[in-house]
Amino acid sequence: MTTIKTSKLAKPRGGSRALPPRGGLSRTNSKGGWYAVVFLAPIFVLYSVYYFFGFGILGVVSTQRVGLTFRNAVDVGAQNFILVATDPAFQGALINTLLFAAFSVAVALTLGFILAMMLASGVRVRQVFYTVFLLPSLIPMSLFATVFGRMLETRDGALNEFLRSIGLGFLTQDWLGDPAAAYVAVGIIITYTIGLPIMYYTTDVAQVQASIMESATLDGASVWQIYRIMLFPLLRATHITVILSVLLGSFRAFDIIYFSTSGQPGGRTDIAGTYIYKATLGLDRIGYAAAASIILLVVALSFSIVQVIIRRKAN
Amino acid sequence: MTAAAFVAAAALLAGCTQAPASSDGPTNITYWTWFPPESTLNAVIDAFEAENPDITVTLKTFDGADYQKQLPLALSGGESVDVAGVQISAMTNSVKDYLDPAEDWAGDILSTLNPTMIEQTKAIATDGVLYSVPMGSIGSPIMYYNADILDSLGLSVPTTADEWKVAVDEIKAAMPDVTPVVFQGDVYWQEEMLFAIAEQTSPGLSDDIIGGTGAWDQPALIDGLKAYKSLFDDGIISTDVLSLTGSRPNELFGQGLAAFYFDGSWQDSLLSAAYREANNIAVKDVGATTLPLVNGGSPSVRALAEGGLAIPTASTKKEAAAKFIAFMLSTAGNDVWAKDLILVPSLTGYVLPSSVLESEAAATGFAAANAAISSPTSKRDAQQDFLSTVEGNAILDVLRGTKTAEEAAAFMQSEWTSGRYPHASDN
Repeated sequence: MTTIKTSKLAKPRGGSRALPPRGGLSRTNSKGGWYAVVFLAPIFVLYSVYYFFGFGILGVVSTQRVGLTFRNAVDVGAQNFILVATDPAFQGALINTLLFAAFSVAVALTLGFILAMMLASGVRVRQVFYTVFLLPSLIPMSLFATVFGRMLETRDGALNEFLRSIGLGFLTQDWLGDPAAAYVAVGIIITYTIGLPIMYYTTDVAQVQASIMESATLDGASVWQIYRIMLFPLLRATHITVILSVLLGSFRAFDIIYFSTSGQPGGRTDIAGTYIYKATLGLDRIGYAAAASIILLVVALSFSIVQVIIRRKAN
Repeated sequence: MTAAAFVAAAALLAGCTQAPASSDGPTNITYWTWFPPESTLNAVIDAFEAENPDITVTLKTFDGADYQKQLPLALSGGESVDVAGVQISAMTNSVKDYLDPAEDWAGDILSTLNPTMIEQTKAIATDGVLYSVPMGSIGSPIMYYNADILDSLGLSVPTTADEWKVAVDEIKAAMPDVTPVVFQGDVYWQEEMLFAIAEQTSPGLSDDIIGGTGAWDQPALIDGLKAYKSLFDDGIISTDVLSLTGSRPNELFGQGLAAFYFDGSWQDSLLSAAYREANNIAVKDVGATTLPLVNGGSPSVRALAEGGLAIPTASTKKEAAAKFIAFMLSTAGNDVWAKDLILVPSLTGYVLPSSVLESEAAATGFAAANAAISSPTSKRDAQQDFLSTVEGNAILDVLRGTKTAEEAAAFMQSEWTSGRYPHASDN
């Protein structure tokens, strides 16, 4: 009985995302490879231009003291990098970026997974729930964060008004004035963006063969055991996709912070993105902002590399 | 390859090349700016085009903060701009390399304008050259007040913190739904409030620190921080106010839900009954004055020439562009845009039509604001990235009790001299 279960559990991984037979892929490449190159070449050229100018400008400018017009540049070597790296505001912003990223991943892997499983279990009015969870991820985050930022007003904000109206006035906070409350506020808005992880999970859980569930149910497994022992490990590839997308998305969460807390209180919820944006406001600070961008890029790339290594090991 | 070469090549690739001038038909010039409101600009353009049928104007407007980035990038990328609005303090040095000196095209215009505003504009440029011609001047902070609320409670306009506290206590007791004092909690606004208070007893402090070699941790600034904080400690201003950002304080004041509202003189439009009616502002009568004295001294306002009009070197229609600028700065042009009350016009001797300010509170308030702006205690200048990253947050920390005034001042000074924030005394 146990042997059968194990073999059935192993099958769907290949069944839902079956690899072509060995040799098949190379044959396809030999015939269709040139077609692919022809189709991809224009896109490759476009990307090359983007990378060449984007990273080229970033690299050159990061060693200069220069403004937005890029005129009268003064070569300062590595000074910008040193100044950025030793800036307590940048260090705090980078730590926040990583903290918010870790929180986003944790929420996606727990709440996102649980909600996706509940929706996949055939709950009534499922489409309504899908819409509710997905909507914040589909509308422009700047709009969503602006509305949320307005809700955080201490005196007339909707959040505090709501707490007062249900008799929980003692829970009202100076959301943008108290560092702990501000972190909670950012956590709430991050939680609202859980729609995409839910979509990834619900899509992939549909690929899991129903027979596995039926077997497990017949063997007397509880719902909790099915989720914990079977589904969670089965969706390992989805977890990695979710982690990577959420993690890298967190590095671009500029709009969430800028339009909700604006880094308040006292810059304590600033992330690297908002720090870099503010750096570009000053005179002759484009080189400084470029250096900060490169440091952030290196950090983000190192996460991607770690993820690739982990994925290879997992495969 | 230099970054400038990269940008030029990128501009060519993007096809952002100069549009050829048409040899027949009216000359079309492109005007980029961030203010006044688009409806006002369109009215000025209509008046100009009626007077100059051989010239048409294409207008492109931007949000103020966005414009600080858009214009330098556009000019460096070869975008076709014939008349550029320049935020004199925030943008002159970031775009001056792409502008013609005003003396080359302004002709007789300069002699008709306020010489102080011209000098301020010239002094902002690091090379001391006049690159744009100011439409007027702005100052801040100005305290706008709901004259109806004060009248209904029998309160006079406060001139000291003690009088202000009496008024605030009365308002709190009689109108619990009204927030007595509102202003933006955004970081940039904290500098405006701090220097307005500090310069009541130490005029010129902002010029000394931001434009000169003065230290951020000098006693005058620490006293200013303490005085600002005392307004919160005394209950005149609530820390709730610091969560109001963007246009929110303006909305509250416009809805009659705030008694005193601090902003810059660019909000003088609130004094106009016609403007309030057109914009559905519920307050019947608005007055204006300077910030009440906190620890004695004299009223203070920082002010600077603003609304620079410039001609980019790359423009191929400079004659038409100069004509348009001349019209903007003439009496006919002022008659269209000056009634918005966003600027104190630079045109010497220009008098606003009396129909614009109907009530006594409005007329008195406008005169008081203009008088303060005409003799500012410092230039309204800022080091933008220092302000947004360090200074504003340090001030907010003091107001919220997270840091002492001394700690905040020491922190500002250490960051000011860290090399991260280029400023005047570096040169």
